[in-house]
Amino acid sequence: MGGVDMAKQNKPQHASDTGHEWDGIRELTNPPPRWWMISLHASWIWCVVYFILYPSIPLLHDSTKGILGWTMIKEYKEAVAENDAIKQPYLKKIASMSGQQILGDPGMRNFAESSAKAIFGDNCAACHGAGGQGAPGLFPVLADDDWLYGGDFDTLVETITNGRQSIMPAHQGTLDDATINKLADFVLAASQGKATPEQFALFNQSGCSGCHGENAKGGAINKLGTGAANLTDAIWRFGGSREEVLRTIRYGVNQEGPNTRVAIMPAFGGKLNPETIKMLAVKVHEFGGGQ
Amino acid sequence: MVAKELESQTYNLEIVKWFAVCAVIYLVVGALVGDFIAWQLAFPSLNFDPHLSFGRLRPLHTNDVIFAFGGCTLMATAFYIVQRTCEVPLWSNKLAWFTFWGWNAIIVSAVVSFPMGWTQGKEYAELEWPIDIAIAVVWLSYMGNFIMTIANRRTSHIYVANWFFLGMMIMITYLHVVNSLAVPVTMTKSYSIFSGVQDAMIQWWWGHNAVGFFLTAGFLGIMYYFIPKQVNLPIFSYRLSVLHFWALMFGYVWLGAHHLQYTALPDWAGSLGAAVSIAMIIPSWGGAINGLMTLSGAWNKLRDDYVLRFMVVSLAFYAMSTFEGPVMSVKTVNALSHYTDWTIGHVHSGALGWVAMVSIGAIYHLLTRLWNTKIHSESLVNTHFWIHTIGTVFYVCAMWVSGIMQGLMWRATDDYGNLTYTFAESVAAMHPYYVLRSVGGLLVLAGALIMLYNVVMTIRGAGRSAARA
Repeated sequence: MGGVDMAKQNKPQHASDTGHEWDGIRELTNPPPRWWMISLHASWIWCVVYFILYPSIPLLHDSTKGILGWTMIKEYKEAVAENDAIKQPYLKKIASMSGQQILGDPGMRNFAESSAKAIFGDNCAACHGAGGQGAPGLFPVLADDDWLYGGDFDTLVETITNGRQSIMPAHQGTLDDATINKLADFVLAASQGKATPEQFALFNQSGCSGCHGENAKGGAINKLGTGAANLTDAIWRFGGSREEVLRTIRYGVNQEGPNTRVAIMPAFGGKLNPETIKMLAVKVHEFGGGQ
Repeated sequence: MVAKELESQTYNLEIVKWFAVCAVIYLVVGALVGDFIAWQLAFPSLNFDPHLSFGRLRPLHTNDVIFAFGGCTLMATAFYIVQRTCEVPLWSNKLAWFTFWGWNAIIVSAVVSFPMGWTQGKEYAELEWPIDIAIAVVWLSYMGNFIMTIANRRTSHIYVANWFFLGMMIMITYLHVVNSLAVPVTMTKSYSIFSGVQDAMIQWWWGHNAVGFFLTAGFLGIMYYFIPKQVNLPIFSYRLSVLHFWALMFGYVWLGAHHLQYTALPDWAGSLGAAVSIAMIIPSWGGAINGLMTLSGAWNKLRDDYVLRFMVVSLAFYAMSTFEGPVMSVKTVNALSHYTDWTIGHVHSGALGWVAMVSIGAIYHLLTRLWNTKIHSESLVNTHFWIHTIGTVFYVCAMWVSGIMQGLMWRATDDYGNLTYTFAESVAAMHPYYVLRSVGGLLVLAGALIMLYNVVMTIRGAGRSAARA
């Protein structure tokens, strides 16, 4: 850059104008700054270089490949392979280990819990809560030791793989209203351990014990596979007020009509692989209530 | 000189006044809806389903700020500049009023459409097919009037501001029509004629050029007129204006593909978009440099010319976001930044920093010229300047932090190679930044309200002094 140019650049307003004027606006004949011109040329050279390095130019049926050999799917696969190299040895072991073995091996248990954290968060937490705390009246708590279908490792795997769909018949119509009210009294009393033998007798006569068991301790004990709740504790699947209990007895679970309780857990067997489900079972087991 | 004075009496300044006032009103509306949806993201209970939910209000915000505020600003300034720099009145006043009422009718139909959920689902092109046709017709009326006014000009050459406006008008016509091609099913439902990845590519070819031509080329036209007028100094370099104009016109249309890297779009298209994006930094800076160098030797004017402050800071934001965007399109950065709030921050540094500030500066300038008066309160212009600048900085910084954090949380893995965070954890981590962003938006809204007050008071004051005279 010559001395004269420098002077012009420092005092650009001293340059001559183009001889035109629009509404009082003139344009000066200053050249663009030298660094700007150099960068402008560098910009198109950059494009040429980039086109040589990366796939960039469309051809009739394909495109240029670029000498770096880069493709997005390759970049993706390389990134996945990097993580897989760490994970695969663990996953192989998980596949061949039983639930008890995984739970008994601190290294494997740590791996399983680390894997399951984001998987649980992205697949399970929406209903069961990030910490397995459930949602009152809607979705079951996983972080306690009250189980509808059982809290041992294999049952947890079974539940996650195939899902669960509870069934309780609606008793409106099969039982008269006075009986339904008495049964609600029983359920509320039983939850506090105060149910009388007369109440237990009505409970058995009305057919409730078929699923909930003669002692009303539910499906986790009698293994009927219906997911019948334990009625002798103060843990409620659908709410423990008299009104909520009446609704459950009257309209049942997963029956027809708008008032019935909806209790469906989807099957994850088609979505998650067996190793992943095992690791999720470890996480659920470790919430504190595993058997 | 006398002839010129007489000629200026016949300029249609009435249409400019109406578009300018509409622009200010739409700035307030756009900022209001924008800030409301920002609070909705911070506090989801503010979503009132279905009509006032985020999903329906968001396109209302984007369409209002781009097409209502941005559009009215472009129409006001283009009609003003083309008359004054060609030294002839508008070719057709009737057509100009058709453009005015047509454009506003389209805006009103958008205000109804979006809360009703009538949408084509194409970003910045959500309006359904009958409105798309209306946009094309009204837009052509705007362009036709502009071109015919240039054709009738008294000056021998066409001023640079008009090149930018013309480039914008031609490209937007073509982009809008192609992207909106659809098969109608009912009055409020249609399907794009493109499918799959081609539809996505056409959409982002439009989407990026809504930014590149509507929000950049047009506003460079504004810059090229209002900065030299406001400081009363000549444009720094004619050659620079030619070079960066043509580089932008040829380069910008290639960039859309950088929105679709790491998708089903072929490798070559993404690379091509990214490479040309980087090559657009220097042409973009050409405009910023030409504006800033025009001011050299007159920097002292910034001390008391608050309108000029808006224009100068707008160029700084323009230079910054035209650097940031290309950087974000580079594969390595894009892999982190794509789908995060960083993109939202980038858009707003361009929208609030560049487009809004240069428009606000131009409208304050127009206010004094159109109503031939002083601004009601210079100090309120200064207040507006600071509150808008601080609001923009709050907004952009909050989105930088939250966007980069989001990107890092999504990809973080622990020692076992497992994802460290759930998606919901990344959402929870955004909360403080969403609140900060909403506060930034509130400042911008407050600034817009101050401007509206100042504009109303200035026009009322001008009316009173005219009555006295």
